[in-house]
Amino acid sequence: MSIVPQDDPEPVAIERTAPPNRQPTVSSAPSATTTGTRGRRHQALMRLRGDIPRSVHLGLAALGVLVLLGGWALLATSMGSESFLLPTPAEAWAAGVDLYRSGDLMADLSASGRRIAIGYGISIVIGVAFGVLIGSFRSAAAFVEPQVALLRYIPASALTPLFLLWLGIDEAPKIALIVVGTVFYNILMVADVARAVPKELVNASYTLGAGRLTILRRVLLPYSWPGIIDVARVNLAAAWLMLVVAELLAAQQGLAFRVVRAQRFRQVDTMFALLIVFAAIGLVSDLALRALRNRTAPWSEGSR
Amino acid sequence: MTGVIVEAVTKSFRAGRGVDPLVALDGVDMHIDAGELVSIVGVSGCGKTTLLNIVGGLETATAGQIRIDGDLIVGPGPDRGMVFQGYSLFPWKSVTQNIAFGLECARWPKARRQGRIDELLGVTGLTEFAGHRPDQLSGGMRQRVAIARALAPEPDVLLLDEPFGSLDAQTKRVMQDFLLSVQARTSATILLVTHDVSEAIYLSQRVYVMASRPGRVLEEIAVPFGSVRGPAVLRDARFLDLREEIEELLHAPSPLASSSSEQAIPAQAAPPLPPPVPL
Repeated sequence: MSIVPQDDPEPVAIERTAPPNRQPTVSSAPSATTTGTRGRRHQALMRLRGDIPRSVHLGLAALGVLVLLGGWALLATSMGSESFLLPTPAEAWAAGVDLYRSGDLMADLSASGRRIAIGYGISIVIGVAFGVLIGSFRSAAAFVEPQVALLRYIPASALTPLFLLWLGIDEAPKIALIVVGTVFYNILMVADVARAVPKELVNASYTLGAGRLTILRRVLLPYSWPGIIDVARVNLAAAWLMLVVAELLAAQQGLAFRVVRAQRFRQVDTMFALLIVFAAIGLVSDLALRALRNRTAPWSEGSR
Repeated sequence: MTGVIVEAVTKSFRAGRGVDPLVALDGVDMHIDAGELVSIVGVSGCGKTTLLNIVGGLETATAGQIRIDGDLIVGPGPDRGMVFQGYSLFPWKSVTQNIAFGLECARWPKARRQGRIDELLGVTGLTEFAGHRPDQLSGGMRQRVAIARALAPEPDVLLLDEPFGSLDAQTKRVMQDFLLSVQARTSATILLVTHDVSEAIYLSQRVYVMASRPGRVLEEIAVPFGSVRGPAVLRDARFLDLREEIEELLHAPSPLASSSSEQAIPAQAAPPLPPPVPL
C-alpha cells in the first residue's frame, strides 16, 4: 500500500550467495574467482514464514482438498461388506443431488439458516452492546463481567429441557438456545476488542472536544469494528453447534433434523451429504465475513 | 492575552501498601505566555509527560493548579490541542476526516469547516494527501496530520509530547522547521515536551530543565535567538554553550536520588544497518 517513498519497501529476501557472473572460471584473474558460497540456501517453499507465490498457494490448497477426498475414497472402497457405513464421495454427492432435487435441502437450509440468522443476530447485537460497555467503562466491567463469567460455564445444551418447558417446542427455544450458547462468548470477546483501543486515541479525542458518547460512537466502535467481525466469525461455529443440539431434540425441518432422519433410514450417503453442506456453509460464511472485514476496514492490520 | 500558568503542581502516585507514594511532580511552577514556544526537557521519568497531561486535563494534579487566561483547568477540552508521540490518528479516517473531527465536535458549520480544513492542509503541505488514510502516509506526514488536527479547532495552546521522538534524524529536522513555520503563521502558544536538548533550544524561546525523583524544575533558561531560526543557529557558539549547560544540568548527579540508576538516555539509537548486498 506504499504510496509515499518513505514507507518501508516490501521485504525482499536477499540471496547472500555470489551472483552467476562470478562463477569460478579458470581463465579469470585470481581476485575475481569465487572460492565458495556463504550462508545456507533455502528452498523457497520451506523457508520459515517465507512468502510463497499466489499460484503455489492455490495449488497447495487444491492439493490438500484432493488428498482429503482421495483418502476418503480409498477408505470407502476398501470397506468391503461394511461399505454401506462409509459411502464414497461420489455416492455422497449423488445423495446430495437427490436431496436437492426433492426440495428438502433448500427447505432445511432455509429453516436452519433462519434460526441462525435470528439467534446469532440477537447474540451479536447483545454481545457488541455489552462488550463495548464492559471494554469502555471499568464500572460496567466490574458489574457485568463476574455475572457473565459465571453464567458462561453453564453448558447451554443443558438448558434445552428448561427452554422446551418454558418456550414450547416451536422456534423460540431453538433461537434461545443459539443466543444463550454464544452470547457470553461474544460479550467477553468483544469486551477484549474494545479494551484494545489505544488509550491515546481516546485521550486525543477528548482533547479534540469529543464527549464520552461521541467517543463511544465515533471512536471506540469504528476502531473495534474489524475485531468485532473477527469475533462474529469465530463464534459462528458455536452457533451452528447449538443449532444442531436444538434440531436434534425437536424439529420438523432443518439440516440437523435431516441428519437424524437419514440415520433412521440408514441413509449414510445422505448423512455425509448433509455433513458436507455444514462444512460448506461454514467455509462460505467464513470467507464472507473475511471479505466484509477487508472491504469495510482496509486500514486494519490483518485486512488484506 | 492568553497564557498558561502552572502553580505549585504536585502529583504523587500510590506505589502500594506500606510504600511511600511516588512523587512524580513536586511543586512545579511554570508560565507560558501567549504566542510563546516553551520547551520542557528532562530525562525519562522526570514527570514531564505527566505535567503535560495535567495541562491537557487528561490527568489531575494531587495539589496545585493550572490556569489558562485565568480559567482553572479541570478536564480536557478543545482549547488545548494535544499531539502525542504515537500520532494517535483515527486509522479509518482520511487526512481530511481526521482534521475535521475536532471541528465536527465543536459543531462548526459545514462551509466554514471545509475552509478551515483547506487552510490547514495548505499550512501542513498535505493538500495532495487529503484523501489518504494514515497507514498510507510516512511517519513525518502522520505527525503533520496530528498537528493539523490539533490546530483545527483553534486551540489557545498546543501541547506536544515528544512529537518527533519516533522520526528519523532528517525527518525530525524538517518537522522542527515545519513547527516553527506553523508557529510563525498561526502565532500559536506551544508547550513542547522533549528529551532532545538541541530540539528544545532550536525551537523555543524558553526552556524549562526538569530533574527527576521527584520531578521538579531545575532551571528556566531563556534562549537568546530571535524568532528567525535556521541552520546558522545550530552552529552559533551560544547554541553550543547552552546545549552544554543544559546537558550538564540534566546529567549532574541528583542530590536526592542515588545516582547509580539515573543514566542519560541517548537521544536516539542508531537504526540497524541493512544487510550488505554482494557486488
